[in-house]
Amino acid sequence: MGRVFVVDLEGRTYKCKFCKTPLALADELVSKGFHCRRGKAYLFNNAVNITVGTLEERSMLSGMHTVADIFCCCCGQIVGWKYEAAHERSQKYKEGKFVLERGRIVDGFDSEFYIDTHPTMSDAEDA
Amino acid sequence: MGGVEHEDPPLKRVKVSSEESDSFSSVASVRELARCSSSDSMARLLESQEDDEVVGVKGVVKKVELVRIIAEALYSLGYEKTGAHLEEESGIPLHSAVVNLFMQQIIDGEWTESVATLHKIGLIDENIVKLASFVILEQKFFELLVGEKVMDALKTLRTEIAPLCVCTSRLHELSSLIVSPSQIALDGTSDQQLRIKSRKKLLEELKTLLPSTVMIPENRLVLLVEQALDLQRDACRFHNSLVEEMSLLSDHQCGGDHIPSQTLQILQEHSNEVWFLQFSHNGDYLASSSSDCLVIIWEVKVDGRISLKHRLSGHQKPVSYISWSPDDRQLLTCGVEEAIRRWETASGECLLVYEKGGLGLVSCAWAPDGRRIFCGVTDKSICMWDLEGKEVECWKGQKTTRISDLGISSDGKHLITICKENMISLFGWESNSEKFIEEDQTIISFALSKDKKFLLVSLLNQELHLWNIDGRVELVAKYKGHKRSRLVVRSCFGGLDQAFIASGSEDSQVYIWHRISGELIFTLPGHSGAVNCVTWNPANPHMLASASDDRTIRIWGLNQVDMTENGKHSTGVCYCNGGNLKSSIL
Repeated sequence: MGRVFVVDLEGRTYKCKFCKTPLALADELVSKGFHCRRGKAYLFNNAVNITVGTLEERSMLSGMHTVADIFCCCCGQIVGWKYEAAHERSQKYKEGKFVLERGRIVDGFDSEFYIDTHPTMSDAEDA
Repeated sequence: MGGVEHEDPPLKRVKVSSEESDSFSSVASVRELARCSSSDSMARLLESQEDDEVVGVKGVVKKVELVRIIAEALYSLGYEKTGAHLEEESGIPLHSAVVNLFMQQIIDGEWTESVATLHKIGLIDENIVKLASFVILEQKFFELLVGEKVMDALKTLRTEIAPLCVCTSRLHELSSLIVSPSQIALDGTSDQQLRIKSRKKLLEELKTLLPSTVMIPENRLVLLVEQALDLQRDACRFHNSLVEEMSLLSDHQCGGDHIPSQTLQILQEHSNEVWFLQFSHNGDYLASSSSDCLVIIWEVKVDGRISLKHRLSGHQKPVSYISWSPDDRQLLTCGVEEAIRRWETASGECLLVYEKGGLGLVSCAWAPDGRRIFCGVTDKSICMWDLEGKEVECWKGQKTTRISDLGISSDGKHLITICKENMISLFGWESNSEKFIEEDQTIISFALSKDKKFLLVSLLNQELHLWNIDGRVELVAKYKGHKRSRLVVRSCFGGLDQAFIASGSEDSQVYIWHRISGELIFTLPGHSGAVNCVTWNPANPHMLASASDDRTIRIWGLNQVDMTENGKHSTGVCYCNGGNLKSSIL
């Protein structure tokens, strides 16, 4: 695996549930109102320590989007997705932003645990 | 100041003594003709030349200038007749009549007359006239002193040199020489030959003082040719061996067979991913470290084979960095967020373990004097320790990051480290001053050139940026092509005069670029896992080593089949035997 490059984040962060690698700053949180098949999801302006998967067209409740799944760079778990492009004007604000599934991350403060049995892809629906 | 320094300028064209041999008489007569014709006709001759006439395809070479420097070259080579003939046939005099007279007067030692002629040359800058007068009169002063005409020398100093009001410190030196003439470094004595030599030297100096349009600098043409050869060598993408002669007859271009591109050895002693690799400064040793927590010192034998010398065990965490002491007798190894160990190269013994209670150490570097070490700490501070293990100083605050490397300038006064995600700080720890390099991407790692004047920065977007950090901090070049998305992948400088940049890559290949042009010249496949680190032997431009996740270290060298087939290369083009190369040249 080599020496994984991990960025340190200062302040309150959301970490990967499995390996505690910091993924996003609480300051970068845009919306808590997103959903995926497994439950809630949060939209962030920026996420770090992730690797981006292949781009694909995905039909979501809010319309067609070009997204890529994102994975924790340390443990490889899927943690959410990234919006690359939105096909509808009203959804353009999402472009370049990241969604992290609530069930895959832990807050610096609380310690909710979700036991997840569903593999792979997540679909999104907006609240 | 244009001229080139020569020990013995053969300025034979200027009349040396009043007794001329017959062979020179024709030259003299031609020159007399040129000189005796009135200044009017000379002016007419000059005007008839189209000063704007150019030669060459690009239209930047002025014909008058070209002919003048060719004439100068001919005279410098000793071809008096040809030089004079060229001046006559082209109608382009090397120097104007006034300047010729001036030079003759210098050689003849007619000092007062030469100063007078100097004023007639028509120099615009008063200061140059004064400086030139100064050096002429200085020579007069010396010759008088040597000839023991002390009173005359003093008179010269007082009435001729001093009123110029230039070089006052030199003036004082000269006056002190009157008092103690034994101190004079005599470059002109009563001996005729030596005096001539010294006057020629004066002429050389005057050539550097006066504008080059007035007096063509010595050997100007040869100088230009040398510049062209330098440029050719710099532009040669594969230049990695000392080429004995460079020909003027065709442009210099090496083939790729002088770049290490073939695996010569695979070292398989690590039991896990090899993360770091570094040759010692003298190129005699190679140190490697792995996520198996082991460090290995290898010896580079005379025939180029690498053999295991010591296994250094002790770290409890993967070892991510190694730093050789300036004299290569010791090395520092850093376990990730653990401790730093200092080892002795010869015995393989661990001399000291540096730890900081409750915290982990993340990077290490030797001070250039070899007496102190610096390290980065997990709390983002930097510490300085001595060889006994005592912490000498600590700089707190956000000085470094948990994953940053640590570098040090050649005077030991500046620490180089990643202080923020996209910023490198050049921290003057004694002066407490700081300079920054700001990138618009996250910085992964960096490497310093041997002369510590350049910094190669690896970025998140898979680019390598080359920064000049000596004096004005600026971005100099970018290198692209390799793959990096998750790991710390390291790069380095290397090859002859560090003319190349090499890097590891997550696609298991080694990448090599030509530093000046930025061109990717080689990708070397072979490893079966990400190549984490590369290091180029500082003492052998033909040896490169790479460390990989496949647990091996590869030693790369010259393509040996090619070398035996082509044999020694002479000047000019070296042919690259493309079919036999195991790697692709891009």
